[in-house]
Amino acid sequence: MTEPSAEVLRTIRSRRVARALTAQPVTRDQLDTVLEAASFAPSAGNRRLHPLVVVTDPGRLSVLRMVSPGMLQRPAAAIVICIDQANARRFGFRPGTPGLYVDVGTLAATILLAAHAIGLGSGPVTSFSRAAATHVLDLPDGWEPRLIVCLGHPADHQPAGMRANRRREALARTLWR
Amino acid sequence: MQLVLTEEEAVELFAFLVTAARTQLDEAAEYGPLRLLTAARRLGEMIAPRSSEPVRQLVTGPLQQLGPVPLSDDDDRGDFAAQLDTVCVAVAEHATQRAGLRRKGTT
Repeated sequence: MTEPSAEVLRTIRSRRVARALTAQPVTRDQLDTVLEAASFAPSAGNRRLHPLVVVTDPGRLSVLRMVSPGMLQRPAAAIVICIDQANARRFGFRPGTPGLYVDVGTLAATILLAAHAIGLGSGPVTSFSRAAATHVLDLPDGWEPRLIVCLGHPADHQPAGMRANRRREALARTLWR
Repeated sequence: MQLVLTEEEAVELFAFLVTAARTQLDEAAEYGPLRLLTAARRLGEMIAPRSSEPVRQLVTGPLQQLGPVPLSDDDDRGDFAAQLDTVCVAVAEHATQRAGLRRKGTT
């Protein structure tokens, strides 16, 4: 295996959800790096129906956290992955089409890994009021916020995860045909 | 009467509770206690600096002893329920003393 491949695998294996972040800001360069990486995420049919909203204003971040019960950390920045439902309809997608949500996941995974690769902590949040977040972010008509990636610098002490590590169990359940 | 919560903190907690009610409609039932305990912890953190010592101990102590909320049938719900009962008793004891009530068997 070549060295660059090994580096990618090390990044994948060492990424963890950061549930506690410091107040240290995330720089514009760091955000640009993450966003540029995100642009390489797979997108069904290369339709790119998932606009991103970058939130760095402390006041707006604070209010976004208020309406996001799943946001345990206080992020220095956040990237909100949206589905452009209006544009999706033009492509013939009906509301609830699974593919649109799969692309949210692949985009989120790419952002999480990119953030980790440049030393940032990150954590995905799906438990938030979409109606409230739409209002807080002043989103254009037809944009539906689906997932928030919190970004910042990991605190030294991290709260324990919600579940025991079940990674090995999941791996063991893999079927080979 | 001692005021221990600012209006800003109250709004933050209010927003959390209302939006949690909405997100809970789409989430597993087990997230219910998780969100309520998060709200309780946040309330405790907000009021602890301005609270009397007994209240500060109540809102910062017992909840710290709780294990993770059981999220599946594989987790030990009975043990968690027992832990939560202990916290409930601590709350009841504080409220009883605060109200100046006596319980049978106490002097």
